Amino acid sequence: MPKRPKMYGLLAEYETPAALYKACERVRDAGYGAWDAHTPFPVHGLEKAMGIGPSLVPWIVCVLGFSGAALGFGLQYWTSVIEYPLIISGKPFNSYPAFVPVTFELGILLGSFGAVFGMFGLNRLPTLYHSLFNSKRFARFSDDRFFISIEARDPKYDPDKTRKLLESTGAVAVEEVED
Amino acid sequence: MSHYIPPTHEHDIDPVDGRMALVQGQPTFHEITEAVAKPIDSPPKAWWIFFLVSVSMLGLFGLSVAYLLWEGVGIWGNNIPVGWGWPIVNFVFWVGIGHAGTLISAVLFLFRQKWRTSINRASEAMTIFAVICALMFPTIHVGRVWVIYWPLPLPNQMQMWPNFRSPLLWDVFAVSTYFTVSLLFWYVGLIPDIATMRDRAKTAIRRFAYGVFALGWRGSARHWVNYEAAYLLLAAMATPLVLSVHSIVSFDFAVSQLPGWHTTIFPPYFVAGAIFSGFGMVLTLMIPLRKWFHLEHIIGIKHLENMAKVILLTGTLVGYAYGMEFFIAWYSGNPYETFVFANRALGDYAWAYWIMVSCNVITPQFIWFKKIRRSPAALFILSIFVNIGMWFERFVIVATSLHHDFLPSSWAYFSPTMWDWATMLGSFGLFFTLFCLFVRFLPIIAVAEVKAVMPQANPHYHPPGHEDPDLTSSASGTVQSRDDHAAVKTAVTSGEESSKVVVSKASEPDDEDEDEDDEDEPDTKDEPIVADEPEPEAKAAPEPEPEAKAEDAKQEAAADDDDDAADEPEDKPLFSKDPADKPLFSKDPADKPLFSPPSAKKDDKADDGDDEGKED
Amino acid sequence: MPQIFPRWTNNIPIAAGLLAPIIGIGLIFAVWYWFSPKYTDVGYRPKQPVPYSHKLHAGDMGIDCRYCHNTVEQAAHAAIPPTATCMNCHKQVKTTSARLQMVRDSYDTGEPIPWVRVHQLPDYAFFNHSAHVAAGVGCASCHGRVDKMVVVEMDQPLSMGWCLDCHRNPEPNLRPLDQVTNMNWDVTKEEYDPKRDPERKRQVNPPTHCSGCHR
Repeated sequence: MPKRPKMYGLLAEYETPAALYKACERVRDAGYGAWDAHTPFPVHGLEKAMGIGPSLVPWIVCVLGFSGAALGFGLQYWTSVIEYPLIISGKPFNSYPAFVPVTFELGILLGSFGAVFGMFGLNRLPTLYHSLFNSKRFARFSDDRFFISIEARDPKYDPDKTRKLLESTGAVAVEEVED
Repeated sequence: MSHYIPPTHEHDIDPVDGRMALVQGQPTFHEITEAVAKPIDSPPKAWWIFFLVSVSMLGLFGLSVAYLLWEGVGIWGNNIPVGWGWPIVNFVFWVGIGHAGTLISAVLFLFRQKWRTSINRASEAMTIFAVICALMFPTIHVGRVWVIYWPLPLPNQMQMWPNFRSPLLWDVFAVSTYFTVSLLFWYVGLIPDIATMRDRAKTAIRRFAYGVFALGWRGSARHWVNYEAAYLLLAAMATPLVLSVHSIVSFDFAVSQLPGWHTTIFPPYFVAGAIFSGFGMVLTLMIPLRKWFHLEHIIGIKHLENMAKVILLTGTLVGYAYGMEFFIAWYSGNPYETFVFANRALGDYAWAYWIMVSCNVITPQFIWFKKIRRSPAALFILSIFVNIGMWFERFVIVATSLHHDFLPSSWAYFSPTMWDWATMLGSFGLFFTLFCLFVRFLPIIAVAEVKAVMPQANPHYHPPGHEDPDLTSSASGTVQSRDDHAAVKTAVTSGEESSKVVVSKASEPDDEDEDEDDEDEPDTKDEPIVADEPEPEAKAAPEPEPEAKAEDAKQEAAADDDDDAADEPEDKPLFSKDPADKPLFSKDPADKPLFSPPSAKKDDKADDGDDEGKED
Repeated sequence: MPQIFPRWTNNIPIAAGLLAPIIGIGLIFAVWYWFSPKYTDVGYRPKQPVPYSHKLHAGDMGIDCRYCHNTVEQAAHAAIPPTATCMNCHKQVKTTSARLQMVRDSYDTGEPIPWVRVHQLPDYAFFNHSAHVAAGVGCASCHGRVDKMVVVEMDQPLSMGWCLDCHRNPEPNLRPLDQVTNMNWDVTKEEYDPKRDPERKRQVNPPTHCSGCHR
């Protein structure tokens, strides 16, 4: 956001996943970009209704997982062959079969870091302060309500038109949220 | 319940009987939240008793570790030839316990076993705490705790690096990776639920604490996309990890050249044993927990039964491994190997061996009986025996293989000292203290995940009342086909009511043909659908479609409603909750009390308020 | 739900993300540097019961190391001299010095002087002085310029890595066998090739395996 407008945007509340799903399709088709849905649990297929592409997390995991494995093998090779070549149990310096477990574990470890911290990064978490939390109503997103928020920074955003759109989608409530 | 099963989701049918809903009694989303959060707000008395006992045992652990540091490893019974006494027995025992959590989380997640959602949170927590206990033992067993960082590859003045050819070092990497990944997995699963706790917290301290750990989660659909990808990948990575960890733990033994340890069967045998003991501990924890915290409707008999079946399978695998060890000992013709196994079954530690066999091989066989595996009390007792048996398995492996080594003059009989006992009991104190704190402050059920497997969570799952053409057309083929298949009416009703009604409607097919089919052939493939819907039906059946809805509804919808009313007498026997009808649909007598009282419900149903009374 | 956290808290993750690697690497560096004997042990200079000056005896007066530490060529251990060794001279020299009172008392009573040990290897490290002297490793290589120390202090870390540095590449620290105790023979300045030294019966081949030192 270059400059924060006074209003964050509009927040519409729905009561069922079905209503939300339908509303999301409408908002998507209306061509909005800076909007989001908020649900207590992942609603199956909602990303399609919202037109969200696939997640980038798998790529991060792939890259980090393989670099973890490479790092793991590299560490063992470097320490056992280059840095301190030491004959242990008459095995060759590069006893690669014995290096498999640690290589594997480090691959998994970095892959998991990629999954978790990659997800945090893509989601910009933690975001302890968020304008949506200004809405009293919004607290129910984590319980049993479903929300759509459309941000004021969206070029198509127009307080009245957008509100009308949201109201026409069967929202039980539509309110403006301060930034 | 109401499990509306769209045709595209046929594989979601419950693995046990394909009928019973995962969450019983048709709670609303809000009721799930409340049921899970209530014990956190006001813990039952049993919690305090349990907590105080656990903490005093933890004190024992602190005391014994402090004395160990002061005095040295000599306070234990370990001595040549049994250099790996109780510390390693306890280590392997706890690592084994720590396997069920990730198994439930990751493996069952990959296999789309939705019943995992009720138990995964608590068993993941159990995993983490068990691994903490496990890590304690090698740490204090090294004697010089202050240099325990030496196995890590850090640059140091000795210019030394760990010996990567040693299984003990693989263990360091495997167990610590396992711990880290389990912790991340657990925490990622917790984030939405901590947000739930944050949003309903009453005090500033709670809001702050939950707020920090919720990371500002706001249930954003864009976040969920990444979240679900991350969760899936974590599961995909944790699955091979969980198998690797106990394989590597078994390498500690199998890679050494000691008769009784040097066996290729060890990795699978240890993994099976770990799952066996892990599920045993999950049952031990969950059976009292579901009762004390009134979560019987979320952690149903079916969940217990499924876990019992896993125990039966893995227990039998372990029994096979026991037999195979003896076969190989004989078949190999190796006199040392033969001796060790003869000594195991008939020698000084025969008592331990036979405790192990009776607990691990005979105990699970009781699970063949349906009555036993559906009885929480019986399962609880069995699970205790499983825990005892698996502890003895580790003891037998460590002690019998070591106490008679190659040199008869050094043969000895290992017996634990008072401090061995204190440390072991203390580790249970550590485990249970952590677990008590967990159930006290964190949601023990994965709230978001349970909600997601409830029928009304499906976006194509619509309340009855009227058909919404917009929806039908927009929601792609799924809806269409579902409509065709189950003849579901869609309607937008409001509030919790909708979720109730929804269910009923889905099942309440306006197409008479469907209904009749069901009636005629209750055992056909359609049965699950029908069977899943008894209660909702019961509720819905008497419900006159509210006028308000009818108004909203399109003409056809109104027509449908009429149809429904007309059908009612017919449907009733099919779906009714009346005891008389029960045999037809209710698969599970045990679940009966969990359902909402039928008649009262029905009446309430018409009003909006019906949800309130229902679950609690 | 009201806001729980002020807006600025959103910067914490970024700061934490930037700081975490720095802290992590800093921590490893801290252990590597501050926990190492190079930091903890070098310069260790305990106060001795008798103000004996190596500078005076070994440096200015030129007494050979082996005069006092007489077992160094034959034994694993380089002996601390008995009081009798001191009294060889101090029966004649400075017989009334107050600073030597403890030496005279020790000589009279037979009670040893409680010297404070400066160089001490762990018990699990096996070190043999005679092997090193025979290989031509000078006293000064490990103990520093003792002839310039008024109070003896540790000059080298005597850590395992430090041992290994030399065991892996001993040549730079070797000197002619007759120069071992010569404090003024500077290995860094003198031209010396142990491979061409006819005095050496066999070349030095120090062990780097575990049981070379940990027996």
